[in-house]
Amino acid sequence: MNGLLMVAGREIRTQVRTRAFVIGLIVSALLVGGIAFAPKLFGGPDEYNLGRVGGQELAVQALAPEAKITWKTYPDERAATTAVLDGDVDVALVDGTRVLTNGEIDDELGLLLQSANREAQIGAAGVTVTPLQVQSVGADTRYEAARQGIANVVVLLLFFMIISAVMTVAMGVVEEKGSRIVEILLISIRPWQLLGGKILGLGVVGFINLVAVVAAGLVGAFLSGFAADFPPGMAGIVVNAVVWWILGYAFFAVLAGSLASLVSRQEEVGNVLQPMMLLFLISYGVSFFASANPGHPVSEILSFVPPFSSMVMPVRMAASDVALWAILLSGALMVVAVAAVLMVGGRIYERAVLRTGRRLKVSEVLRTK
Amino acid sequence: MLEIRGLRKVFGAGKVALDGVSFAVPAGQMFGFVGANGAGKTTTMRIVMGVLQADEGEVIWNGRPLTFAERRTFGYMPEERGLYQKMRVGEQIDYFGRLHGLDAGAVGKARDALIGRLGLTERVNDTVESLSLGNQQRVQLAVALIHDPELLILDEPFSGLDPIAVDVLAEVLHERARGGVPVIFSSHQLELVERLCDAVGIVSAGSMVASGTVDELRDAEGRRLRVVVREPKPGWADGLPGELSKDGDRDVLTVVGGDDQAVLRRAVEAGHVEFFGVERPTLVEIFREAVA
Repeated sequence: MNGLLMVAGREIRTQVRTRAFVIGLIVSALLVGGIAFAPKLFGGPDEYNLGRVGGQELAVQALAPEAKITWKTYPDERAATTAVLDGDVDVALVDGTRVLTNGEIDDELGLLLQSANREAQIGAAGVTVTPLQVQSVGADTRYEAARQGIANVVVLLLFFMIISAVMTVAMGVVEEKGSRIVEILLISIRPWQLLGGKILGLGVVGFINLVAVVAAGLVGAFLSGFAADFPPGMAGIVVNAVVWWILGYAFFAVLAGSLASLVSRQEEVGNVLQPMMLLFLISYGVSFFASANPGHPVSEILSFVPPFSSMVMPVRMAASDVALWAILLSGALMVVAVAAVLMVGGRIYERAVLRTGRRLKVSEVLRTK
Repeated sequence: MLEIRGLRKVFGAGKVALDGVSFAVPAGQMFGFVGANGAGKTTTMRIVMGVLQADEGEVIWNGRPLTFAERRTFGYMPEERGLYQKMRVGEQIDYFGRLHGLDAGAVGKARDALIGRLGLTERVNDTVESLSLGNQQRVQLAVALIHDPELLILDEPFSGLDPIAVDVLAEVLHERARGGVPVIFSSHQLELVERLCDAVGIVSAGSMVASGTVDELRDAEGRRLRVVVREPKPGWADGLPGELSKDGDRDVLTVVGGDDQAVLRRAVEAGHVEFFGVERPTLVEIFREAVA
């Protein structure tokens, strides 16, 4: 155990101290925080400046309670025209009958003005219009869009955060094998300590990255006010994403580490990892599908099948409500899968890592002792 | 005491790398391992260090089969050097010391002593990749020595070193041997092996063709008498054993074994004896003879 922790400690120290890690952490945190903050800069509630020459103000505000409506009064049509052309106001209403615009009118504003005008005229005629009452007989869908968005973020987060950490494990294994450091290391520690320590250490580094990115995203969302749209149970969604990241990372890191031990040169890593990458990309694709269709049978079934479940289940959980038993079952299956890949992968690594030279095949490694 | 008993190793394509290699290295002995490229030196050392598994034979340490825990106390310098290129010299040495079970305090002391001894004090905070190859080799040696090993196995430790570094390394290895540690190293520099080693093993095509102390090997070769006679009477050496060759107006007679006094009398009668003496074969000659 001690050897394993020493290996893990070295991995963490070596990674955390590199400039690439520090810069990468800062850039990704700023990027994610910035994206979360962006709605504040580009979006926000609609804002209309309306001019008026004579006549009455239309009750636009009542139709669009979220929008910010400002009325300005002008003495004559000429002043109003200048204001429209200068952009002081979006449109100007003249005598309650005509609307001056600079080119096309904004669709939404046009609808608002026409509706308000209609209501004003109907009201003037003494007719009261009772608005339609909207009543949902289905599930509460107020947060559907927000959950959809968050599910998409979870997919991307898991994708990048798993693959970057997993690739570091593979490169590290080949570095040690190719340079024969492993021959000296394995005098004093066992292969499982070396591989386990590497996966643990780089996992901690990946975890730091993940937490930094998630934290930056949340801070950005709160600062921008976007967090007000968060569905209830947001904390649970975040915790889920992190826990499932650990399971997904463990599975793919063991797979990558053992496959990488089959080759001795960095150039061969991409090639030897192909089966793992295929599995990973399928997981990604399915989880992307699940973010839009969390209730689809494909999403539901694959959210139980490791290793797909490591990405599909958290996405389903973000996009929809999943029963506790389903979450626990899926988690347990994933843990079993990690244990299984650890057993086989550990055996491959142990037998392959000292056999430098040409690329080895899994079958020949498992056959020989 | 390390004993190698009947190691046999066949590689994938049916290539016999080792065919029953046996030898022993007692405590405090400096053992030189020589042989042509591909003779089996590296394979033997890799089997002792557990990097390779032998098909047959065993490695005995102090009378019992070598275990993982005991091997942990060994120091090893592989033929293809391996260090973390981007790690600093001091940290790297510390890391391997810790992996061998030393605590932080012991590692610090051992590291400072070693880097001073190996002339690396100035480079302790440099990354390995920024060092010259010679200095990287010193770091490699420090990594092998940091835990005060109970046995040293070094594959070509002298290759690529300048004469000063060779002297430093030789001195360090001698110190360890004097401390009771068996030291095994391979080398193609036979003069160096002859000068440094108490015992030598010569491998050829996977077998140990000769082993023993350098003196034993020489005695096995037999005493070789060399006589140089200036302006000799023709045919003086007729009937004497050995080989006669001409060097200008001198005759050179080389005799293995036989009666040296009889040869001397004949030589004195034949002309001016310029040289008469017993020559000991060099390791190079023994090696050529053994692998021929």
